[in-house]
Amino acid sequence: MTESSASKANAPLFTVIGDRINPGFKSTKALLESGDMAGIQALARRQADSGAAALDFTVGPRAKDDPDFLVEVIRAVQEAVSVPLCFDYPEHEVQKVCLETYSPDQAGGAKPIINSMAETRWHMVDLLKIRPCRVMLMASERLEDGIGKPNKTAAEIAGTAKRAALRLVREHALTPDDIIVDVSISALIADTVGLNREALAAIGLIGSDPELSGIHISGGLSNIAQQLPPKAADGSDLKLQLECAFLTLARPLGMDTVLATPWRGFQTLPEDNYVLGVFKQVLQASGTDVLRQVRKLYRK
Amino acid sequence: MIENEKELIEAIAEMREEEAFALAKGMLDRGEDPVRVLELCREAMDIVGKRFEKQEYFLPELVLAGEMLENIGAIAKPLIQEKSGGASNKLGRVLIGTVHGDLHDIGKNIVTFMLDINGFEVKDIGIDVPVAKFVEEIQDFKPAVVGLSGFLTLAFDSMKETVQAIEAAGLRDQMKIMIGGGQVDEAVRTYTGADAYGINAVAAVTLCREWIAA
Repeated sequence: MTESSASKANAPLFTVIGDRINPGFKSTKALLESGDMAGIQALARRQADSGAAALDFTVGPRAKDDPDFLVEVIRAVQEAVSVPLCFDYPEHEVQKVCLETYSPDQAGGAKPIINSMAETRWHMVDLLKIRPCRVMLMASERLEDGIGKPNKTAAEIAGTAKRAALRLVREHALTPDDIIVDVSISALIADTVGLNREALAAIGLIGSDPELSGIHISGGLSNIAQQLPPKAADGSDLKLQLECAFLTLARPLGMDTVLATPWRGFQTLPEDNYVLGVFKQVLQASGTDVLRQVRKLYRK
Repeated sequence: MIENEKELIEAIAEMREEEAFALAKGMLDRGEDPVRVLELCREAMDIVGKRFEKQEYFLPELVLAGEMLENIGAIAKPLIQEKSGGASNKLGRVLIGTVHGDLHDIGKNIVTFMLDINGFEVKDIGIDVPVAKFVEEIQDFKPAVVGLSGFLTLAFDSMKETVQAIEAAGLRDQMKIMIGGGQVDEAVRTYTGADAYGINAVAAVTLCREWIAA
C-alpha cells in the first residue's frame, strides 16, 4: 500500500450510492418479480448498513405501466432506510411519480436525487418544481444544434458537464453540492476508442475547474468490468480489482462519488498491483490493441 | 484435412495472430483456393464462438479472431472476385441501428462487426435513429433482418414504436426483427413485438444464421 493510501485507509474513500435496487441484478429482479417487499427492504438496509449514503432505485420498465407498484416499492424502501433515494429513470413521467411519492421526512430531510438529467433531456428540469432535488447530470451526451450527440473526448465530456452544471446553478438555483456529474465509465472489454481514458481525463478537467468547485463527480463503476471473467491472471477478483484500479486513478483527479455495491470493499491499489498495472497499459492502447491488453487482465 | 489447414485453424482459435496471417498468406501465395482458406477461417471462428459460449473465451478473443478473419479476407476476397468475375457472396442483408432517444453505440458496433466478418451484408444506420428513418432505410436496403439496439430503458418504447411503424408500412412480413442491448429479455421482446432478442454479438450472429443462412 502506498503512503497516501495507507494514511487514508480508515476514511471512507468515496460517497457510495448503492446500486442494488435494480432488476439488472438477477437476485433483485427475482425479489421484484415476486413482490417480495421484505426482501427488497432487507436489501435496502444491507446497503445502508454497509455505508451507502444514498440508494439508487429502479424497478425497471414496469414502472411505466404499473405506477402503483413503483409507489409501493418506494414506500417500502423508505420505511426500511433513512438514506435518500436516487431515482434511476430517464423518463420524465416516471421521475414525476417517484418524486411525488418520495418522503424527505423518512430520509431526515434529505433531497432525492434525479438520475439522470442530460442536455438532451433538458425538459426534465421542470421536475425540480415538484420538490428540491439533487441531480445526477449525465455528461456523456450533449445537444448540438438541437441534435443529441455522444461525447467521446475529455473536452466534450467536461464541456458538457460545465455548461449544464452552471445552467442548473444559475437558472434553477441548485447549489454545487446538489450536482453530481456522471462521467460514464464504460465496459473496458469493448473500449477500443479510449472512452475510459477520456473519462479519467474529463474527471481531471472537471475536478480542477474553479468554476465547478463543490460539485461532485461520479460514475457507474460496475460497468468497467462487464463481461470480463471473474478471476484475474494473478488469481485475484478481477472485477473488484478493476473497479479499484479505476478509483485509484480517478480519486486524486476529483472523483468523490461512486454508484456501486457498498459492500464490495473498495480501496486504492498499490503501484505494484497486477491489475492496476495492466489497466494503465490498456489506457495507453488504442484500437484492437486495447483488446490484446485487456486479455492480459485474465490470461498471462 | 491437410496439415497446414489444421495449423491455420489452430492458430486462429488459439489467438496466434501473426502466425495465422502468415499461414493464410502462404497458402494463398502457393495458389490454394481462397474460398477454402476462408472456409478454414470460418471453422476457426466456430471454435472461437463455442469457446465464447462456454465462457472460456470473452469478447476480446471474439473480436481479435474476427479481425484475423477480416485481415485474411482482405487478401483472399480479391482472388475470389477475380475467379467469380466480381460477384458478391454475402449471406444476406442486415440493417442495424440504435433506436431514437438513445445514443449508445458500443454494443451495436460490436454486433455490426461480428455480422460483417461472419459474411452478412450489414448496413449500420447509426444512433438515435428516428422511426421514419428505419422505415425509409428498410424500403431502400430491403434487409432480411433488422436489428434494433438500445441501452436505456426508454429504448424499449422506441423499439416498440419502430416495430409498429414497420408493421404500419406493410413491411413486417418481409423480415425478422431482433433487439439487443442493456437489459433486454423475453419480457422486453414481447413488449416491443420483436421476433427475438440477443444477449451478445454471438447471439445476434446465431439468430441471423438461423433466419437467413440456414
